[in-house]
Amino acid sequence: MATLPQLIEEDIQKLNEILKEFLSQTDATTALIIDKGGFLITHQGRSSEFDLTTIGALASGAFMANQTIAGLVNEPNFSSIHQQGENFSIFCCNVDEQVLMVIIFRCHVGVVKYFVATAIKKVAAQLEAARQRAPGEGIDLSVLNVANTEDVFRKKDQ
Amino acid sequence: MAIINQATKELQVKIVYYGPAMGGKTTNLVQVHDHVQTAQGNKGKLVSLATSSDRTLFFDFLPIEAMTIKGFKTKFQLYTVPGQVIYNTTRQLVLRGCDGIVFVADSQYEKMPENVESFQNMLDNLTSLKLNIADIPYVLQYNKRDLPNAAPVEYMEFLLNNREVQVPSFTATGHKCEGVFETLNMITRLLLHKFINQSQSHGAPQPA
Repeated sequence: MATLPQLIEEDIQKLNEILKEFLSQTDATTALIIDKGGFLITHQGRSSEFDLTTIGALASGAFMANQTIAGLVNEPNFSSIHQQGENFSIFCCNVDEQVLMVIIFRCHVGVVKYFVATAIKKVAAQLEAARQRAPGEGIDLSVLNVANTEDVFRKKDQ
Repeated sequence: MAIINQATKELQVKIVYYGPAMGGKTTNLVQVHDHVQTAQGNKGKLVSLATSSDRTLFFDFLPIEAMTIKGFKTKFQLYTVPGQVIYNTTRQLVLRGCDGIVFVADSQYEKMPENVESFQNMLDNLTSLKLNIADIPYVLQYNKRDLPNAAPVEYMEFLLNNREVQVPSFTATGHKCEGVFETLNMITRLLLHKFINQSQSHGAPQPA
């Protein structure tokens, strides 16, 4: 399975710009980029009232479950799912093999669907650029070389 | 796979608790959630998509931020899979993108066939996702050691840890929080070592 590339500051900045532009075009509330394993990569828009980490995990699970259903009805791909609510709606769409875009919005879904097509192309292009970058151009994780990991997670009473 | 975000100096890691039904996977997460010592706001809500009979339907999910390691934010996402045989598709979905696995085995004698079947199922599901167990750090946890019909650890080692490379294993009594943190810290250790090795093999430069 291909993996998500290491993302440097420039990647995150560009992804954030794409999301900001999308939000201004659609008047949507919040836009997230997540990977299909459930990780939140970045987001723009209102975030304080939402638990975006959990939304990312659940949205990826729901999307991937729908992909599996698609396979069961011999449909090669459901590219998006839309859940309409009274206050907020959620639209989740495929970006590439690894990544999804999730939009929380109050506005009309038609506007979201129209502008998201351009946004996901830009997001996919930025991720591809990150993928093409030399693999060494990332963080040196040797800073994490801790001799003892017993203290990484500690019980309260210890 | 893990997300490494240089912009925020952040590492996001996904650990999946796998094992037979009613073996204590969810209990592990509940105990971590209830007892972990974290700075305020670093522990998310435990989300459980379960049936009314306490069986996990889709997954349990606990986001948690470890104590900062040398200025690095390390965010862990702990998942469980549903243990029931019929939910295999769901297990495959949850395994996607996992970085490490904790296999929670039930120590009761009569559960040994289920342990072995579940372990084999895990290997099959990893293969279906084009992943290889040799490339994914995992640890074994022999849970429910407090029960009178618990099998000897040596026997469980023979059944589940008899591969070319033996992995760390822990005895646990999940509902008393015994062995839970030891297991989690060991999988964390294996994961960090793996990332470091990958990073060094890529010849990454020191960050500015």
